[in-house]
Amino acid sequence: MASIDVKSEITGTIWKIEVKAGDKVAEEDVLIIIESMKMEIPVLAPEAGTVAEILVKEEEPIKEGQLLARLHT
Amino acid sequence: MSAKANSSEFERRRAKALAMGGEEKLAQRKAQGLLNARERIARLLDEGSFLESGLFAFSSGNPEDRDSTPADGKLAGYGRIDGREVALVANDFTVKGASSSLSNGKKIAHMKRTATLRGIPLVMLGESSGARMPDTMGAWGMGSMLGGDPTQYQRMRETPWAAAALGNCFGSSAWYCVLADFNVFRKGAILAVSSPRLCSLAINEQVDSEELGGWRVHAEVTGFADLVVDTDEEAMDAIRRFLSYLPSHHNEAPPVSSVPKGSDDAAAALPKVLPESRTQVYDVRKVVRAVVDQDSLFELRARFGKVGMTALARLGGRTVGIVANNPMFKGGALDGDGCDKITSFLVLCDSFNIPIIMFVDTPGFFIGLDVERKRAAGKIMNFMNALSLCTVPRLSVVLRKSYGQAYLNMGGGRNSDEVAAWPSAEISFMDPMFAVHVVHGSRDEKYRDPSTPEFQREFEQMRGDAEVWDIAGNYSVQHVIPPEDTRAYLLRMLEVHQLRLSGGVGQHLMRTWPTSY
Repeated sequence: MASIDVKSEITGTIWKIEVKAGDKVAEEDVLIIIESMKMEIPVLAPEAGTVAEILVKEEEPIKEGQLLARLHT
Repeated sequence: MSAKANSSEFERRRAKALAMGGEEKLAQRKAQGLLNARERIARLLDEGSFLESGLFAFSSGNPEDRDSTPADGKLAGYGRIDGREVALVANDFTVKGASSSLSNGKKIAHMKRTATLRGIPLVMLGESSGARMPDTMGAWGMGSMLGGDPTQYQRMRETPWAAAALGNCFGSSAWYCVLADFNVFRKGAILAVSSPRLCSLAINEQVDSEELGGWRVHAEVTGFADLVVDTDEEAMDAIRRFLSYLPSHHNEAPPVSSVPKGSDDAAAALPKVLPESRTQVYDVRKVVRAVVDQDSLFELRARFGKVGMTALARLGGRTVGIVANNPMFKGGALDGDGCDKITSFLVLCDSFNIPIIMFVDTPGFFIGLDVERKRAAGKIMNFMNALSLCTVPRLSVVLRKSYGQAYLNMGGGRNSDEVAAWPSAEISFMDPMFAVHVVHGSRDEKYRDPSTPEFQREFEQMRGDAEVWDIAGNYSVQHVIPPEDTRAYLLRMLEVHQLRLSGGVGQHLMRTWPTSY
């Protein structure tokens, strides 16, 4: 089982968290939505797997490159 | 020597040269699923069209290597791609790692000179270990091996250059890949200034080759890879495809192809592409694909600077360069990598007489600490300057958002030859959500809270003011078009804006701009 880090490609605010630890996700499923530049920017699952942990909470400000979640594949 | 003896000597030497680095090395490559240099050439060129130059060359820098350097490790010659001449150099790694030497340096120089003088593309198939050692060592080696050709790394964009990274690309193969207009990267290749071994010796840095210069690095971080493929065969096919969009030289228009049947069908789906909400994202490639000729889309640097999509395509059989904001990534907000990618693509298109089509949907340039430190202002102005120096036709279509300076960079005002907009377009200096704060927030805190009726009223007013009708009213947008008419509109506009007075040829004001940023 491999662990995959899901990082933010953008600075902004966590708007919605669409999954929780233990959820199974397909590749490109929306995990989290970030609000930045007045746009809703989805963070997609890079691969299919299971959500191991979510490391942010809604309304939390985040930086580009910040670790948001981990998946197990 | 008798005619018979001459003939037999010719055959002996020819067979020896064609044997390259020997059976064992060739067998090893085959076992790894790699093509050798001659197989690559055969795959790249029209069948039977290769005319080799310098088959009988050998090392002239070191007499001891005369018999062990067939063709001196770099094959050169002329061939045809879709019936059009090209000049090419293919590194033969089985001969001294295709290291750079005196005779093979002369071969490269001759191919480049001929391609430039006679107006044909240059293809460089990269896989080389760098300077030949020990020939280049010492002051004598440097003086005799290097610097004899003052145009060695000069790029004036007279003709298209296509390159491939097909193995270890250190030294000249790395240089030519980044000097080229198109660089296809085969997975497993490594492109770097120096090898991991030298990094370890010089700076005590233990690096993994893939981490140093593998496909992910060049596709996602440096952007040096225009396209990533799995096999040598796909790499050769990609070069053929790239050149199919380009003219043979800068003084002619690109070739015109037939239009595939059914190319007009997809545009009917365009009204359904945009999401309901103005803050939601979508993949702009759906729009582009529905507009251009069927199967003609050839995206470049898809994994780098993803906020900006750059692609070659055809419209009505004619080559066009596509520049599009992609809201799917960072909401379409332009960042530094996106600017660099678009700038270099504008230079490519303008240098080879390719009209530019811009699809606009951007909330503006991305701002903040990170981008400022990555030289955002300079990158935005390089992009802007490039657009303003283009002399090929530039057509822009505003799909949705066009804000602030990005409005100008994406062809707003007279920065394109025609500006069209979908009825969904919203054009203003900044997003109304921010503008309410900026305009009224300092005098009254009610305008800093989006839940107040005052904020909402002002927001709706500003949002309405951003609709397309006022800018169409003052003629800074020339056409408001329903989405489904976009293809037909662009086909007609390409007709109108042909460079008739110069036979389809632009002025190439950026021909000496850098080949990478």
